[in-house]
Amino acid sequence: MHHVVLDQWSRGSSPLHRRDPRAKIISLLVLLIVLATATRGLPLLAVSFAGILCAVAVWARVPLGGVLSRAMLVLPFTLVFAAASWIGGDPARGAALVLKAYVSALGALVVVSTTPLPMLLRGVEMLGAPRFLLMVAQFLYRYLFVISEQAQHMRKAAAARGGSFRSAAGALAILFARSYEQAGDIHRAMLARGFQGRFQPLSTPHFHKADVVFLLLGSTAPIVVRAALEQFV
Amino acid sequence: MHIPDGFLSTPVWAAMDAAAAPAVCLIARRAQRGFDESKAPLLGVMGAFVFAAQMINFPVGLGTSTHLVGGALLAFTLGPAAASVVMAAILAIQALVFQDGGILALGANTFNMAVLGVFAGYLPYQLWGRGRARRAAIFAGAALSVLTSAILALSELLLSGVRMTAAMLGVSLALFVISAMAEGAISLAVIGALESIQPGFVRQPSMQRSFALAAVALVAILLVTGGVLVASAAPDGIQKLGQAHNLITTPLSGYQISLLGEGWLAKAGAGVAGLGLVYGACVLMGRKR
Repeated sequence: MHHVVLDQWSRGSSPLHRRDPRAKIISLLVLLIVLATATRGLPLLAVSFAGILCAVAVWARVPLGGVLSRAMLVLPFTLVFAAASWIGGDPARGAALVLKAYVSALGALVVVSTTPLPMLLRGVEMLGAPRFLLMVAQFLYRYLFVISEQAQHMRKAAAARGGSFRSAAGALAILFARSYEQAGDIHRAMLARGFQGRFQPLSTPHFHKADVVFLLLGSTAPIVVRAALEQFV
Repeated sequence: MHIPDGFLSTPVWAAMDAAAAPAVCLIARRAQRGFDESKAPLLGVMGAFVFAAQMINFPVGLGTSTHLVGGALLAFTLGPAAASVVMAAILAIQALVFQDGGILALGANTFNMAVLGVFAGYLPYQLWGRGRARRAAIFAGAALSVLTSAILALSELLLSGVRMTAAMLGVSLALFVISAMAEGAISLAVIGALESIQPGFVRQPSMQRSFALAAVALVAILLVTGGVLVASAAPDGIQKLGQAHNLITTPLSGYQISLLGEGWLAKAGAGVAGLGLVYGACVLMGRKR
């Protein structure tokens, strides 16, 4: 499956990979907010942000082409609305939608492809998000591939039985029952290994000096770039 | 409908984030009470099930097919609070790993699909899920769930100044109704098949009337009604209204009126302060467990 590629990228060892997830998340949010609230000189701002993000991706030794093409996943949805704006007589808004959506996705991708998902979710948790929700998300991600593989088998089986509405519903019900049962097995296995209702991380991320520097740089750079551009545009 | 970043105007995404964060915190605590923390594996695996269920196609005629959205099905089987948590986790993973939906728009997407979509879908089941109208309640709940989320997303887009012609609005509303019907039919068929495997999978609606549930569902339905009105009115009119009152900034309106002049740092400061307040409230709420 193609999304495993993010797991590969995020296990690198560049300086960016080693930064505390909290520093990366906050920097990303600042970038996204600065971009989302921008109005004047948006094309130039979006291009400069894209340039910065590309430089960061290269610095983090993440395949640049891969990241750029993966960010295009937002384009189908965006292009529909951009075309609608164009037809509606507002081509500038259409262009703004494409630029903002693409560069925002690029920013998120640079962070996700340099932080393993468990670390990223742990960072979100340490920033105050409900732990229960994030545990559910962790389990979801862990078993996504397992259940998806079963779903592929069931799809084949449903198609072999004629691909009717009823057979698809039957397949889904079986998949539901199996997943439910599997969840029980997983839970019992975890209890047998001493699971006490929460994950015990092997290491707690510490906020080093480098993280402070990165956070300061990452959260001021977007603001400085935009302020500078708005002086000249 | 997963809204990417860049579509919603700042007041819309900020308001939705501010509304979704405490709502998700509260619902997560409630689901935790009903399921205790050790049941996180169950909810996670069922989230993976909803994800994987999208691979199984349901033929709906004319050579097209559709798939399960799942919010209502989860609400009928795990209960609305747990279903809401599972859907929120799905949306987070979709935004992070699959670039499906934006990060700043996560609040809006969560509110549309995980909070109001799930609770609005559960309301008919809670009201009529016991009697003879049970099948109708399941169908209506699942359809309402999809319709609520879709119309909320559409009205948020229109409020943000995304242009759509009247014809496009009509087509998308028709598509929403069709996919809502499909979701109703799929959920009904899957529930039927599930009950023949093991009746215990499907929850009976609780006897006690839940005030919170009714309140959330009512808000959802009111918002949807408002959304329909928004969608049926000319979108340009709303945009003008917003600009006249300086309530709604549209992505490129600054080219003409330059809302963000010298004062944008002050505005940003106020915004950050507001976000800080919401954040503090959420941390406080999450602390007590």
